[in-house]
Amino acid sequence: MWPARRLVRLYPRAWRERYEEEFVALLEERPASLFDLQDIALGALDAWLRPQVALERRVRGMIGRMRNSVLLVLWAWVGVVVAGVGFQKMTEYEDFARAARQNITIGAAFDAVVVGALLALAAVLVGGLPIAFAAVRGALAEGRKDVPLLLCVPPLSLAAFVGYVLLVGKVVCPVVGCTTVQSLVNVVLFLSIAGVFMLAAVASAASVSVAVRRSEVGENIYRFALYPAGLAALAMVVVSTATVVWGLALWVQAPALFTGDDGILATSTVATWLVVLAVMGGSTCVAVAAVVRGLRAGRTVETSP
Amino acid sequence: MEEKVSDLGRFSDPALFILVSLAGGEKHGYAMMEDIEAVCGARLGPGTLYGALARLEKRGLVEPLSSDDRRKPYRITAAGSSALEGRLTEIEGFARAGLGRLATA
Repeated sequence: MWPARRLVRLYPRAWRERYEEEFVALLEERPASLFDLQDIALGALDAWLRPQVALERRVRGMIGRMRNSVLLVLWAWVGVVVAGVGFQKMTEYEDFARAARQNITIGAAFDAVVVGALLALAAVLVGGLPIAFAAVRGALAEGRKDVPLLLCVPPLSLAAFVGYVLLVGKVVCPVVGCTTVQSLVNVVLFLSIAGVFMLAAVASAASVSVAVRRSEVGENIYRFALYPAGLAALAMVVVSTATVVWGLALWVQAPALFTGDDGILATSTVATWLVVLAVMGGSTCVAVAAVVRGLRAGRTVETSP
Repeated sequence: MEEKVSDLGRFSDPALFILVSLAGGEKHGYAMMEDIEAVCGARLGPGTLYGALARLEKRGLVEPLSSDDRRKPYRITAAGSSALEGRLTEIEGFARAGLGRLATA
């Protein structure tokens, strides 16, 4: 009688998961011999030294890590966009625009925020579009509609948001009268716009994430995407740093404006700035960590035997 | 890129035997060992058989078939048939050249 199960334990776990049942069935069908024992021991050694099953799983795991890193950068970018819209909303007030024109540091910091945001957008598009094309092409080849439909969510969400803003601005406000900033109607409408915006942003990122996770996208596409993702993360660092510089320069150059109530919905400027900074900084840290992790995974796939 | 059986190092010969065996129809591990011993005169141990089988499966030259039995049958794929034909043609040319030299020696 073969101590079959015991012999199979010599093999790596991944190998056993794949071949154990049939291997044990084979061993049980023939009488034991010393030649076979030696052959199994050498086979187990080979499976450890040149893993055929484990290697594939490892590579798949690394590709999964690269994919997750790219998706995390997308989520982090959405976080920076949400915070950036808040920053833009606050700084569209004329006093801030004047401060930016009169002080070179405030002006340069504001410009750096804008340039960084545009750079991050371009990098996300450059890295994301090849993944989207590959996902759609793969889905169409398999006759699947779920992935293309999921990828329609971001443009539809944007259209819904723009439509809602137009509805509020052109129809609702003239009827109900959005006269003062802190009036109940104005606050409710502003919060509803912010809510729709965040819902659209989260729905877009979530639908893209699900679509990509459901797709078989090649490792080379993910490896390429990590470089634009790195650029996006770098742009987020620029945006966050510039936002810090903008606030500190405003504090020094226009303290009354900085400590006043010119934040969103006429709340504290400092509080609005700090909330914007917290969301931006947190998102940027996530993006940088994701890129580092993704590049490490990419290098591991490259160096696998 | 077309897979070559001769690229499998020390598993090249066992892999060739497995492909020849599966070219005659789908078989599970034990049936392959019996067939290889009968047709090729080589006795493969279980460790060698599955070392070669794992490499062939990874390269898409053979594929497992679903089965309720614990003994999983395998069959040769189109890529496997092509790789086997290529390798046997090489061997045939090599044998012909060798025999030709022997005849003229």
